[in-house]
Amino acid sequence: MSELPLLRVDGLEQRFDASGSLFDRLRFDNGRISAPRRIVHAVNGVSLTIRRGEVLGLVGESGCGKSSLAKTIIKLHEPTAGRIILDGEDITGHGFQRMRPVRRKMQMIFQDPYASLNPRQQVSDIVVEPWREVAGGSADAAHERAMQLLAKVGLGAEHAARYPHQFSGGQRQRIGIARALSVNPELIIADEPVSALDVSIQAQILNLMMDLKDDLGFSYLFITHDLSVVRFISDRIGVMYLGFMVETGPRDAIFDNPHHPYTQALLKAAPRIGQPLPPAAEQLTGEVPSAFLLPEGCAFRTRCPLAHARCAREQPALKHIGAGQSVACHLHDADEKPLHDAPLPVAA
Amino acid sequence: MTAQTDAPLLRVRGLKTWFHTFGGVVKAVDGVSFDLSPGKILGIVGESGGGKSMVGFSIMGLVDRPGRIEAGEIIFDGRDLARLDDDAMQAVRGRQIAMIFQDPMTALNPLYTIGNQLEEMLTLHTDLGPQARRARCIEMLAEVGIPQPEARLGAYPHQFSGGMRQRVVIAIAMIAEPRLLIADEPTTALDVTIQAQLLRLMKAQVEQRRTALILITHDLAAVSQMADRIVVLYCGRVVEIGASAALIASPRHPYTRGLLDSIPASHQGRSRLPQIPGTVPDIRKLPPGCSFAPRCPRAAERCRAEVPELTAAAGGSAFACHFPLEASA
Repeated sequence: MSELPLLRVDGLEQRFDASGSLFDRLRFDNGRISAPRRIVHAVNGVSLTIRRGEVLGLVGESGCGKSSLAKTIIKLHEPTAGRIILDGEDITGHGFQRMRPVRRKMQMIFQDPYASLNPRQQVSDIVVEPWREVAGGSADAAHERAMQLLAKVGLGAEHAARYPHQFSGGQRQRIGIARALSVNPELIIADEPVSALDVSIQAQILNLMMDLKDDLGFSYLFITHDLSVVRFISDRIGVMYLGFMVETGPRDAIFDNPHHPYTQALLKAAPRIGQPLPPAAEQLTGEVPSAFLLPEGCAFRTRCPLAHARCAREQPALKHIGAGQSVACHLHDADEKPLHDAPLPVAA
Repeated sequence: MTAQTDAPLLRVRGLKTWFHTFGGVVKAVDGVSFDLSPGKILGIVGESGGGKSMVGFSIMGLVDRPGRIEAGEIIFDGRDLARLDDDAMQAVRGRQIAMIFQDPMTALNPLYTIGNQLEEMLTLHTDLGPQARRARCIEMLAEVGIPQPEARLGAYPHQFSGGMRQRVVIAIAMIAEPRLLIADEPTTALDVTIQAQLLRLMKAQVEQRRTALILITHDLAAVSQMADRIVVLYCGRVVEIGASAALIASPRHPYTRGLLDSIPASHQGRSRLPQIPGTVPDIRKLPPGCSFAPRCPRAAERCRAEVPELTAAAGGSAFACHFPLEASA
């Protein structure tokens, strides 16, 4: 990896204060007044890199912090700690004005094609708005640009003067993609872009997104909860749990040889077509703990079938285990003495 | 197989549920037929607008105006539910047939404890005394995997996570021991690890109590893991019906094939996904002939003129297509 990565994120943390007003917080304990804060630990020290032209797929269940991570990287939320370096430029501390030129390099596609388009704007205005922001230009030039963009995503000139409500979900997602493409970004962050779509439309949009990437050579940070989608689209995959990155690696390594117990359980739980339900013994029990009160030590230990004493004491760090794969689990720590002689369980 | 297991509990014949709107007649369900025996699982799949939820609502007698059951029979245990009046239907609903809805956040009443909501089913449908009802509620919550059921009886829905709420919804549906359970997208709102737990739970209920289950979902993978038979709906009509494994392995209708191919998991590597072009047509303005013809790679003149009839094939399967795919061995 001599080449400078397009995006590097180091130890990113995102905490949200959900405690409300002082009056909501006031507590009386044994005659003493206190006002504790309630902090959501959404992203906890996540590091990742994305190379040029690469697709990094981010998977995890709801509440694992994948959307918060994306919104923090694009600075919709200010990070609590850590660094974000885009194309060699540290944008962690950039304010609104200094972010404006950066947004030309980094755009976002949102999950909900109904809520992410302004219902009062014509489609031709929606798709060129980011471009006009950075390039200015005349109304004629903007119209021409709009037509180019619509053609790129498979919409026609007849769609230009329509409003979002006149389109189906799949067409709206095409409009969202055209808007992100308008400034020729180098990185597109796509937050569950196909989750709201029917399976036949989902295939159309996934094909479109990959064709555009191959044509224009940008990178994706692609967030999804759908394992079949992430397998289709990613070069590398990151698995998140409760705000932590628990495993990263090349796509095939993650699917064929997952090391973290959570990755293994997630892959086993995913329904596979024509296969029987997985036996109950292989199911993960319990539910994700609250992000208000993270467990001590490893965040996954409360559901982990292999947890031992060290997991409750010490938080595992993400460590490289070879072939580009990294895992945050004490079981894969070279210093850890084997607990038992049996080989580590590996998904079949 | 004995005669007893063969006798279907539910027999739906030519069901038509239409909505008379100012914009025209919406034929949400337009001639759907299937059988379901006790202890069996029928999967109903299709995309949004296919009419799959409306089949469930029709059986439950929950079709609201301007919709109504236009034609067809819903024979449940020898009686035609489509002809029952509201009072008679009320006695069937909940007791004989129960429904699990998609959204566990809105299916529960936020103002009552889950103990109240469970017990209401027993008060309405059984003659158990208060203590027996309470014992039964605790037993049922334990059965659906809620830890400390006794302590949780007094809890309100907002104190539960999404997965736990759906467990409560399943418990409410199952507590009066209905003979038919209709689950409309029961796990769509939930994460995969929770989804696997709940599918297993429903399957166990079906096996233990010989309940019949209709599983309505857009998720072909989930349905293929659960169902004995699968019905594929497109624009309110059955395009294909058959035994689960055979239908997945060797679909005869191009729409079924297209749906299966659109799932990324069935393809290794990064080749393009085979996609079904276009979108589902407006159900008020269906094309003449086969409604899938505008999107179908095999469509010919005949498909645009003539509606294909459901044709029986080997193994109790059937498909509605003029030019079906070859049956593979």
